[in-house]
Amino acid sequence: MQGFGQGQREKVLSLTCMEQQELENVFALLLLGSFVGFPAPPTFLAVELLPFMEREMQILGQRAEDACDMLGQMMGTLGVD
Amino acid sequence: MKILFYTGKGGVGKSTMAASAAWQLSQKSRVLIVSLDPAHNLGDIFCVSLNGKEKKMHDRLVLREVDLHKLSRDYLEREIGVLTRTYSYLQTLNLDRYFSVLKYSPGIEEYALLTSIEETIRKDGSNFDTIIFDTPPTGLTLRFLALPQITITWIDRLAQIRRQILDKRHTIQKIRGPATDEEKKQEIKLAYDEKDDPVLNRLMALKGNYESLTGILQGPDCGVVLVFNPDMLSLRESERLVEGLRDINLPLRLLIQNKVSEENRAVAGQVVAELRKMVGDIPLLQVALSTQLACGLDSILYEIPENLVTNLNWRR
Repeated sequence: MQGFGQGQREKVLSLTCMEQQELENVFALLLLGSFVGFPAPPTFLAVELLPFMEREMQILGQRAEDACDMLGQMMGTLGVD
Repeated sequence: MKILFYTGKGGVGKSTMAASAAWQLSQKSRVLIVSLDPAHNLGDIFCVSLNGKEKKMHDRLVLREVDLHKLSRDYLEREIGVLTRTYSYLQTLNLDRYFSVLKYSPGIEEYALLTSIEETIRKDGSNFDTIIFDTPPTGLTLRFLALPQITITWIDRLAQIRRQILDKRHTIQKIRGPATDEEKKQEIKLAYDEKDDPVLNRLMALKGNYESLTGILQGPDCGVVLVFNPDMLSLRESERLVEGLRDINLPLRLLIQNKVSEENRAVAGQVVAELRKMVGDIPLLQVALSTQLACGLDSILYEIPENLVTNLNWRR
């Protein structure tokens, strides 16, 4: 029973982590969107926050790399083998 | 302390009016006049060489030219310095130089201008009774005056997302429970409390700055003076400027119609009537077309006979 609870907990955790990473991705994309042609906030705002954005930029890069296998990623998240 | 922005279409005589008003005001009180226009004329009007620096004309009048390129360069160098330190590992790969392309980003000049206005108000506010800003032509002026409010809107949106992220991190932390010692060694610590998150802290600090600047610009001590000529082009641009100022909620205090002569008096009347429809009963001052240049190149451009000061004493 304890193992079952632990399993459920892990599942919820990975989903929430996923959601959080997506949010961080959106945050970085909104802030740094001007570099890829999105309407963006004033450039200096991006420049001001850039020093603290290492993690978000890594996620952004990772998302770009995974972009060609979105379906696989979605299946992974939903636990479909 | 009063803050005045002299605005209008290029070539209408903004700088001359600003310089003359500064000269007249300085007879009785301490005045700082700052030229924000990249094509500086202030030095020419007072027949002194400023070269992006400042000069004391007399005890109560200081002239200053803002070097926009230098300001942008300084700001970016500071930021690039922080970036390079944060991402110092990139130096080993020699990638840090790519950050230098930031200097070509659009919007940096407006930001540098705004920063310079904010700094001037903060540092010199207590040393002068009036600070006069001679602004660049309409488009750029409206953009940088609107910048604090646009930025606050963006900051609010970004902060909202940031708070959601922190909220998620907090949830994860709660589900996961306390980490074991072994895990603690491996994990990367992520902030989930609002006060620990550097991004949110920076956003909030910026918001505070912009809100106080907006407060000053929209406040009772700040005013915009619109300079225009008796012609259609100048009228149309003034109308756009009035609309723009209304959008960003900045108070227009005085209209100055410059270069009025006997020949154009009828047109001048029409232009004023048109503008009145938009601005209501804001005081208007007409300044005659100067014939001073006819006296030779050494004529004093800032000494004009009209009284430019009386109307600047609006009720606070």
